[in-house]
Amino acid sequence: MSRMPAPVRTALSAAAAALVAAGAAGCAGGDIAANTPGSSGQSFVGHSYESTFYEIGHRPAAPAVAGSTTAGKRLSLASYRGHTIVLNFWGSWCAPCRAEAPALGQLARTLASKGVRFIGVDIRDQPDSAQAFMQTFNVGYPSLNDPGDEIALEFHSTVPPAAIPTTLIIDRTGRIAARVFGASSYAQLQALINKVIGQPA
Amino acid sequence: MTAAEEDSTTGPAAEEDSATSAAAAAGGNHGLRFGLVGWLRWAWRQLTSMRTALILLFLLALASVPGSVLPQEGIDPAAVSQYYQSHPALAPILNRLSLFSVFAAPWFAAIYILLFMSLAGCVLPRTIRLVGSARQRPPRAPSNLARLPAATSYTTARTPGSALESAAALLGRRRFRLRTGDGWVSAEKGYLREVGNLLFHIALLALLFSVGLGGAFGYKANRLLVVGQGFANTPTALDVFRPGRLVGPGNLQPFSINLKSFHAQYVTSGPELDQPLTYDARLTYQAQPGALARHYTLQVNHPLVVDGVSVYLIGHGYAPVVKVTDGTGKVRWDGPVPFIPVDQSTMTSEGVVKVPDAKPAQLGFAGVFLPSAVNVGGTLESAFPSALNPRLSLVGFSGNLGMNSGQAQSVYQLDTKGLHQLRMAVRPLAAGQSMTLPNGVGTVTYLGYQQWISLAITYDPGQLPALISGFAALAGLILSFLVRRRRVFVRATAAADGSTEVMVGGLARSDAAGGFETEFAELTQLLRTEHDGRFHAITGPAAEPDSDAEAETEGPDANRHDVALTGPDGE
Amino acid sequence: MPINTAAADTSNGLLLSTVIIYAIAMLCYACDLAFAKHRVLAGVTEPAAVAVPELVGAGAGGPATMVGGSHAPADVAPGEPASRWPSGFWLRLAFWLTCVGVAVHVTAIFTRGIAEDRVPWGNMYEFIAAFTCMAVLVLVAASVWYRAYYMGVFVLVPIVFGLGVDLTVLYTPAGSLVPALQSYWIAIHVTAMIVAIGLFIFGAVVTTLYLIADRSQRRIAAGKPSWPAGILRRLPGPVVLDRLSYRSILFGFPVWTFGVMAGAIWADHAWGRYWGWDPKETWSFIAWVVYAMFLHARATAGWRGRRAGWIQLAGFGCLMFNVIGINLFVTGLHSYAGM
Repeated sequence: MSRMPAPVRTALSAAAAALVAAGAAGCAGGDIAANTPGSSGQSFVGHSYESTFYEIGHRPAAPAVAGSTTAGKRLSLASYRGHTIVLNFWGSWCAPCRAEAPALGQLARTLASKGVRFIGVDIRDQPDSAQAFMQTFNVGYPSLNDPGDEIALEFHSTVPPAAIPTTLIIDRTGRIAARVFGASSYAQLQALINKVIGQPA
Repeated sequence: MTAAEEDSTTGPAAEEDSATSAAAAAGGNHGLRFGLVGWLRWAWRQLTSMRTALILLFLLALASVPGSVLPQEGIDPAAVSQYYQSHPALAPILNRLSLFSVFAAPWFAAIYILLFMSLAGCVLPRTIRLVGSARQRPPRAPSNLARLPAATSYTTARTPGSALESAAALLGRRRFRLRTGDGWVSAEKGYLREVGNLLFHIALLALLFSVGLGGAFGYKANRLLVVGQGFANTPTALDVFRPGRLVGPGNLQPFSINLKSFHAQYVTSGPELDQPLTYDARLTYQAQPGALARHYTLQVNHPLVVDGVSVYLIGHGYAPVVKVTDGTGKVRWDGPVPFIPVDQSTMTSEGVVKVPDAKPAQLGFAGVFLPSAVNVGGTLESAFPSALNPRLSLVGFSGNLGMNSGQAQSVYQLDTKGLHQLRMAVRPLAAGQSMTLPNGVGTVTYLGYQQWISLAITYDPGQLPALISGFAALAGLILSFLVRRRRVFVRATAAADGSTEVMVGGLARSDAAGGFETEFAELTQLLRTEHDGRFHAITGPAAEPDSDAEAETEGPDANRHDVALTGPDGE
Repeated sequence: MPINTAAADTSNGLLLSTVIIYAIAMLCYACDLAFAKHRVLAGVTEPAAVAVPELVGAGAGGPATMVGGSHAPADVAPGEPASRWPSGFWLRLAFWLTCVGVAVHVTAIFTRGIAEDRVPWGNMYEFIAAFTCMAVLVLVAASVWYRAYYMGVFVLVPIVFGLGVDLTVLYTPAGSLVPALQSYWIAIHVTAMIVAIGLFIFGAVVTTLYLIADRSQRRIAAGKPSWPAGILRRLPGPVVLDRLSYRSILFGFPVWTFGVMAGAIWADHAWGRYWGWDPKETWSFIAWVVYAMFLHARATAGWRGRRAGWIQLAGFGCLMFNVIGINLFVTGLHSYAGM
């Protein structure tokens, strides 16, 4: 992430030159205490795929998360009791999230009949862009809006999301059965979900 | 250890020369008769010798130099990537040599680990010896005190026995350790010097350990926060997160922060124009979910401490609020976009807006934000860091942003590979102004601006131990510099005429900075007064003792010197 | 924060006066060295290649003058009463001018502080003014305590030069501090650094003289010509010089250590880490390590003396690079110190 080539710098400079005479050739700035690195993007985006499966008896209970969706409706995990829940933390600005979005939407449709419900948690996003994302990828399931990271924080003592995207699979009894960091493919996620629903809970 | 070797021990961290000479001796005859154990012993002696310590200290200093010359990954990653671009051939080689992360490099670690091993190898035996010598009594008085570095003699009417008794009492009152024998008293003082010396070196080891502790159990993070927004201390909410080796995502203290306002004040006139005066970030925070929300004004040098974690204000900037409507007439982005200042004095900032879900094609914008735009010879420039006359200038791009492939990219940069620039006149926008994009791909509106701050979040459990170690090292250093280790011997013998001849001799075992003679002179003066003795020098003609009252003095506190020094004091 | 311009102007005038007074004092010291006859003494030369620091002036005049640890050149004829105060017209004039100069110097710094309503070490101009003042204070103290009057001209030459550059090239008008520097730690950290640098400057000048004297002595011993012998005859021998420089490092090193530690605590307060290998931090560490090497070298056979002297000068080089070079060539967290 840090060694990101910046081809745009030239394009931008060209644009800026028309406007700004004295364009300082600075790097990331904005620093009060001189050049401590500010934020150069999200360091958690682009985590390579990594999954963890929790055996029965070793599954932490999922917190009772509730909130309003990007569409403005109330939603609580408790109302999904009895279903296997796939909880996906995403953002429209996050490239790996965009890459896995079609697979997730398709899985949500295929597995609905098996009692699997998908819920998104939209983080660090903005309502218009979130709506646009869901339209682009034809996402059929709802997403909780989490601008202040309260939902992510509720998982603090269990299985906190540590990458964007993070996907948690919560079994029928409300316990976290699997966790995926990074973008997952259709096959990877399908295998994991099947493993969770295949086990008697 | 012989007296000669001891005498050569000077300086604050005096490692024995004997160690070196012993090593040299061992090195001389290791030969074939030495097996593996012999070789190991030889290597250990080499490692713990002063010469090796000196070389390692030199290497440590030398190895630090590239860390200050080349950009460092841990300090300024952006500068490293810039270096890669300007030196494409050299950079990978330097990287292979860990020269972009010198202080985490294996060779740097090798130097300081060897140094600390050398230090430990020196300090531990000395500590054991110190403990041993603390129980030991001073050595016997040498037979000829006149050969000591400092010596004097006088005659007294008292008997040898009573003279020695009172001498021992006087030295005892001055907290010398005593040993008496037939016709002599020997006294020693100044063990604290070695204590200080050892304390200093042990504290350095403790300091290294504390740094390691912080590295294993602590973490550092950064977060950029726009006014009106909030975040929680959880990995996905952090822009940069550097956890210690033993820190998991669940170990983060679960506080949350909401930024209410940010205010920067600058000098508005005079030679310091544009210089910042104050930064105030008003925020509310909760120590954990559901806890009471508290107010805090975050300032530079006034970090917020919550649950043992410190939150620092380390940067600020502008986030123009932009609304992008796509070709279908739908709003696809409406919010603040953080721009990065490229010039601190005018806060001229650059940034990008990405609209990956615009239809019919993805849209991207590269922009320049001028907080106080003025026209200078036909071009707009920012004249002041405050937003007195903000303008936003955007260059539009259309095509493929490269985001859907899943390859992570910076939110501050546009990947222009799949994009083409929209042909249109670039016009700086004032708040509320819109720009219609060509070919019906949409409209972009500049609505106003927000400010953002960047926060550094650190948790370092090694901090307090490091502080204590640091002060212990300093205390040890001062102790070893102030205290000198010295011995004083007194011999009394009956002279033929019935009087008693008292000889006093002394030596400082570590007195490179001098000062022992003053003390010795003072002591002998006291002894002589006590014995009511008549002074006579050992060497040279006898002189009236008080005639030198104005003689050159050692220091401001120097007393009269009626001491003749006849030999080296130990350098 | 309003700037008291009257006080700022007074400070500027006082600092200019300081340089002039120092320059005159420097010339007087030089005159003393050149003309004063009372310094040239018979039999004061140290025995060649003595490994004994204490024995200066030994053997000259019996026990009365055989006082150990004399640091002044035995510039007093045997039997002549010696005082810690300067003797001779030029030396007296030079010394008292130096005292007046340092008083004016301190006043200049003080009025600058009043003008700005803060500790007056917020930029390079103020910093150099402060540590040169400290160096002269060290000179005065060493003169009186260790009778090191002979150091006057050698210390004042770099001081006058440094202050001259400071006033002409680096002058910065009185002003306020950037938020990063608005902390009481500036009074602790920077003050410690100023004191340490003053001591290290004095130590470096003495060591330079020591190295010259040592070389000269060895050349004379080898029967080779030595041009500075004439001047050196008016100075104490290398052993005394070596010990004087060691003393200043002995004072300076703990103060520097404290200064680095105070800086670390402040860095933790301001930036969220106590050590981050910022260029300024790195070089303060390098200077610390090299001075530590000096202290160790002085306790090691085969390294003490000349080699230790060179190590100390290397340490001083690192120190000066840290103080000035870093601000010129490298950008880092301490960049606001400016030039």
